[in-house]
Amino acid sequence: MNTIRRVAILGGNRIPFARSNSVYSQASNQEMLTATLQGLVDRFNLHGERMGDVVAGAVMKHSRDFNLVRESVLSTTLSRDTPAFDIQQACGTGLEAAMIVANKIALGHIECGIAGGVDTTSDAPIALNEKLRKILLDLSRAKTGAQRLAVASRIRPTMLVKPALPRNGEPRTGFSMGEHAEQMAREWAIPREAQDELALKSHQNLAKAYESGFFTDLMTPFKGVTKDNNPRADLSIEKLRALKPVFDKKVAPGQGTLTAGNSTPLTDGASAVLLASEEWAAAHNLPVQAYITFSEVAAVDFFDKKEGLLMAPAYAVPRMLARAGLTLQDFDYYEIHEAFAAQVLCTLAAWQDKVFCKQQLGLDKPLGKIDMKKLNVNGSSLAAGHPFAATGGRIVATLAKMLAQKGSGRGLISICAAGGQGVVAIIER
Amino acid sequence: MSMKPIEVTETPSLAATFFRALGTGAKRPGLIKSLPKVELVLPRVELNAQHIGQYSALCGFKMGQGVPLIYPQLLTFPLVTAYVCSDDCPWPAMGTVHLANRITQYQSLNPGDVVRVELGAGNLFAHEKGQVFTLDLRILRGDDLVWSATQSLLRVGVKATSGGPYASQIAADAPLSCQTEFSATADLGRRYGAVSGDRNPIHMAALSAKLFGFKRAIAHGMWTNARALSFLLPATPVEKATLDVEFKTPLYLPGRAQLWSAREGNSALFEVRDAKGQKPHLRGQLNY
Repeated sequence: MNTIRRVAILGGNRIPFARSNSVYSQASNQEMLTATLQGLVDRFNLHGERMGDVVAGAVMKHSRDFNLVRESVLSTTLSRDTPAFDIQQACGTGLEAAMIVANKIALGHIECGIAGGVDTTSDAPIALNEKLRKILLDLSRAKTGAQRLAVASRIRPTMLVKPALPRNGEPRTGFSMGEHAEQMAREWAIPREAQDELALKSHQNLAKAYESGFFTDLMTPFKGVTKDNNPRADLSIEKLRALKPVFDKKVAPGQGTLTAGNSTPLTDGASAVLLASEEWAAAHNLPVQAYITFSEVAAVDFFDKKEGLLMAPAYAVPRMLARAGLTLQDFDYYEIHEAFAAQVLCTLAAWQDKVFCKQQLGLDKPLGKIDMKKLNVNGSSLAAGHPFAATGGRIVATLAKMLAQKGSGRGLISICAAGGQGVVAIIER
Repeated sequence: MSMKPIEVTETPSLAATFFRALGTGAKRPGLIKSLPKVELVLPRVELNAQHIGQYSALCGFKMGQGVPLIYPQLLTFPLVTAYVCSDDCPWPAMGTVHLANRITQYQSLNPGDVVRVELGAGNLFAHEKGQVFTLDLRILRGDDLVWSATQSLLRVGVKATSGGPYASQIAADAPLSCQTEFSATADLGRRYGAVSGDRNPIHMAALSAKLFGFKRAIAHGMWTNARALSFLLPATPVEKATLDVEFKTPLYLPGRAQLWSAREGNSALFEVRDAKGQKPHLRGQLNY
C-alpha cells in the first residue's frame, strides 16, 4: 500500500449563480453541470484527458437524472473513458464530493479528479400526485380488463391538479430551514442588527472581489450571464432594516430576525474543482494553488435533543482542530457558508460560549473568537447565492485562489447541511 | 397638603359625556400656574376575564400573555373622562391631545383581582405647541401599588405656558428594523371604542372625525400602542415592566402600519410607522 499523498487543488470553475426563476429558469441541472465541467476542461486544457473520477451531485434532482454526472461528463470534451458518479449530502454535497476525490488521490487510487455540484430550484422536479402514482402502479399490475377498470375508477380529477411539490423543509420537524435558523437565532440571542450587518458585509466583499477581477479565472459565462445576479450594488443597511422577518410565523410570531436580506435566496448554479496529486500536476505543468489537508463531518440530534438544525459545523470544527493540532485562531481565512447570517453568528457565538464548549464539545475552555476581518473576505452565499450542492465547489475554489494569491497560509471551510449535518475542511498552502 | 379623594360612582351615558365634553369647550382659563390638586377614585374594580379577553383579541394579544401591560389603563378611563369634564381641569376636553404615556407595572395583574383605581392631577410642562399637563394614574391591589401611569396631555395653542420645558422620556436611540406589518380595519375605532369606553367621535367614523378636522377616523393611540406591544412582549406574562410611548401622527382608518424595533435583551425600542415605513405614528421604549 502507498503512503498517503498530499492532495493539490489546481483550480475551479463555476457558472455565475442566478436567483431562482430568473435567467436560468429554463436551464436544467444537466446543462448547468455540463457547462461548468466544460469550462474547467477548457481552462486547464483537459480535452481528451481521462480523469480518475468525477464526483458531483444535486440536492434537487429529477428521477431521470439518476446518472447526472456521468451524462454530463459524456457531453464534455473529457475522455469518454472518464468514470463518474452522483452523491448527495444536502448543502454539504459539493465539499463532500471534494473530500471523496481528495481521499482517492491521497490513497493513490487515482491521480486526478473533478468534484462538483449543481442545483436548480427553477427547474424543480414536480412529481405526480402520490395517490395517482399508486393507482397508476396498481394499473400496471392489473391483469384483466375488469381489474383495470376497477383500478382506473379510483382516479379523481383533483389528483390531476394537485401534484407532489418538492419542499424546503425538514421531514422530521415539518419546519423549514429558515424556521430552524430562526429558532437558533433565538436560542443564541443573535440580534437582527448583527445579521443585517453580516449580510451587508457579504455583499460589499463580493462587490470588491468582482471589482478586483477576483472571479475572472473562476467563472465561465452561461446563457449570456457573466456575473452572479443576486448581489445588489445599491444595498444599504437601511434597505436591509426595512425588510420584514419571513420565518417567524410558526416559531416566534412577531419577534423574528431572519429576513429575505439576511437569508440566502433560492439559487440556480453549478461549480467544480480540479484536484490532483502533485506528480500529476507537475506532469501537466499545472501550478498548485493549495492543498486539502483535513476534513470532518458531524451530525446533531435536532429532534430529540433539540440541538439547532444548522449547528453541526460547531461540533465538526473542534474535532477536526484536535486532529490537526490547531486552534481556531490558527487561520488566515475563514469560509463559513452563510446559509443564513444567523447560522454564521450562532456558530461563532457557540465557539465563544463556555457552557456550550464544556458541555456539548467537552472542551476545557472555549475555542474563542475569530478575527472577523478574515471571515468570507470575498463574499459568501448571502451575496453570491446558494445553489445547494454548488456551494462547496465555490468555496474550495475561492479559498484555494486566496491562499495562492497570499503565497502561504491556512483556511477553514465550514458548511452546514439539512438533516442536522455539517461538513468542514482545512485548506493550506 | 391633604385633600379628600372624590369617589366617582356615576357612569354617565354616552350622550351625557359627549355633551359635557363639548360643554367644556367654553373654558378660557388664561395663565395657569399649576393644576388644582384633586384626586379621583374608583374604590373597587374587579378585573373581568371576559373583558380582558375582548381587549386582548382586539389588540392581538395571545392568551398566554396574561393581562396585557396596557389593559389596566382602560380601568382609569372613567376617571380621566370625569377629570377632563370637571371644573378642576382648566382646559376643554375636546381638542386635548394624548401626547405621551408612561406605564410602570410593579406586579402582574390577574383576572378576578379586585383593585382600587386612582387619578391625581399632575404637573405642567411648556411644550412648543402648547401646554402639557399630566395625570397620575395608579392601581392598587390591597395596599400594594401594582401599576401606575403618567398620561401626558397637550393642550395645543396655549400661548402663556407654565412649567419647565417638556422633554422626551425616551432617551435610547438605536437604528430600528422592520419587524412586521399589521392592518387597522375601518371599524376598528368603533370596536375599540366599545371595549374601552373611549367613544371620542374622532375615532368612530369618517364623518364624525371630519367635524373635528380629521380627513378620516383615526385609530386610538392606545390601540396602536397595544398592537405593537402584542408583538414585542414575550409569550408569557411579565411581572415588572415599564413602557414609555410618545404619540406622533394619527393612523387613519382603514390603514396599514409597520412595526419597527431594535431589541436588546429584555428591552425594545420601537416605532409604529406608516405602510411605507417612513412616517412614525408612535415611538416607544419597553423594558420587562
